[in-house]
Amino acid sequence: MLEKILLEFNPETKNLFLVLKKVNAVFGYISEKDAQKIADYFELPLAKIYETASFYDLLKTKKPANLEIKVCSSGDCVLGESAKIIQEIENYFRIKVGDEFNPKISLEKISCLGRCAEGPIVIVNEKVYEKVTASSVHKILGEWR
Amino acid sequence: MQNNPKIITQYWGKIDPLKIEDYLGVGGYASLKKFIEKMNPPKALREIKSAKLCGRGGAGFLTGAKWESAMAQKSKEKYFVCNLDESEPGIYKDRMLAENNPHLLLEGIIISALTIGAKKAFIYLNGNYEKAKIILEQAIIQAQKNKFLGSSILKSKYKLKIEIFSGAGAYICGEETALINSIESNRGEPKIRPPYPTEKGLFGKPTVVNNAETIANIPWIIQNGGKKFAAIGLKNNPGTKLFILGGAVKNKGVFEASTEITIREAIETLGGGLQKGKTFWFAQVGGASGNLYLEKELDSLVSGAGAILVVDKTVNIYDLLLSWTSFFRRESCGKCVPCREGTFRLHEITERLADGEISDRDKEAMLDIFWTLENTTFCPLGKFAAVAMRDAVEKLEIFRKC
Repeated sequence: MLEKILLEFNPETKNLFLVLKKVNAVFGYISEKDAQKIADYFELPLAKIYETASFYDLLKTKKPANLEIKVCSSGDCVLGESAKIIQEIENYFRIKVGDEFNPKISLEKISCLGRCAEGPIVIVNEKVYEKVTASSVHKILGEWR
Repeated sequence: MQNNPKIITQYWGKIDPLKIEDYLGVGGYASLKKFIEKMNPPKALREIKSAKLCGRGGAGFLTGAKWESAMAQKSKEKYFVCNLDESEPGIYKDRMLAENNPHLLLEGIIISALTIGAKKAFIYLNGNYEKAKIILEQAIIQAQKNKFLGSSILKSKYKLKIEIFSGAGAYICGEETALINSIESNRGEPKIRPPYPTEKGLFGKPTVVNNAETIANIPWIIQNGGKKFAAIGLKNNPGTKLFILGGAVKNKGVFEASTEITIREAIETLGGGLQKGKTFWFAQVGGASGNLYLEKELDSLVSGAGAILVVDKTVNIYDLLLSWTSFFRRESCGKCVPCREGTFRLHEITERLADGEISDRDKEAMLDIFWTLENTTFCPLGKFAAVAMRDAVEKLEIFRKC
């Protein structure tokens, strides 16, 4: 499967980013094994693969949690109580925002997605919820429990 | 504020963004035809220069000067990049532009790229803008079918290919040298200037990077002439601008108005004033990196990329402070120490401030960090990180808790 993705691209360094994005989209993250195969294909050191991949929020080098919750914490969403929403989620699942230790659930603050007029925005495993409130978030979490 | 022509938003909501026929039906691509049949690159450059069009991404550099610098380069290969990374919190004008009238943007890109002599153009799209990506992809296919793109544009000698490059979530990639690094598959860290991208940019070739909103003005200027454009709005920054109203205003969203508009007028006329029962406290203008304006300062012009966030008195200010500092700590690329450490420590101190545990030493350190960020960081991100916090310290009584 990985080989199939690699063969879609010429092994020129300028294609590295595109390959990383595709691998991330298909597998959810870039595993160390896959990173090594990508490095071999491009004839680059493994460090170069991580150098690029580790920089970008949307490229993951660790296996993501089964339940990934993201809350926008910029401008409009903050004015619309996104801080309270984060607290509610923390209490609901007994997790802490930003912790990477729980392999099952993760809660992350994210930067603006440009949907400010529909905020606060909460994303659970890619599903986007708009105009969330501190009370309505419980129903959303219930869907995923 | 008088009635101004709508240059960018004129057909928003009136045409189907997925149908090129709709855009052609309202006179779309006529500017490209005019450029190819009646003009040439030097002539187009003259129009853009006489229009005095300034960049709409926030920095406000003269578009004509940028183009001229790239055109003066002898290299056979040149690139044009449309900057649609737009990751400043609270700003989504370029997304709306791409989603509502993608062909206006494409027409602008085509004219711009042909003028500077590029045969390949990129749209650097924010990695989160999935819908805009689908719409733009569709628009590019339609433009190719209609011979506005490809090997012989409208049967002329001009050729151009446009590629969408979807980013992967990094605020700093809106900075043009970081953006170029990103397309080259590197970390999206900024590069030292000079050499400027217009001399040595993407893959070492002369490259012009323009903001999407800037580009969307080009077809109008080509069609109506630079002088007519220069007559609209401010003398030193003419034209119209997209403004994004948010926070405690009645109408949130993106609006087009003359660059002459003041913050107060924008809040009243575009935003419809404050929501019922809310009392104005301050406005943040230009996203998370923007200055704060108190009621008595609202008669200033709208600076930066055009976002106005109205904050009312019910807001917990510490939530907002933490949102700024955590944003810059997260988005600092880590290349230079003052920014990497400065944004980190600023966030730590702000956390203590929010908990009511700030010491006098912290307050002093905070001022030191502001100075360091403003004066010693490698790229503007560090400077941005200090703007709103410094204003908060100077204008709002954020230390009152302690």
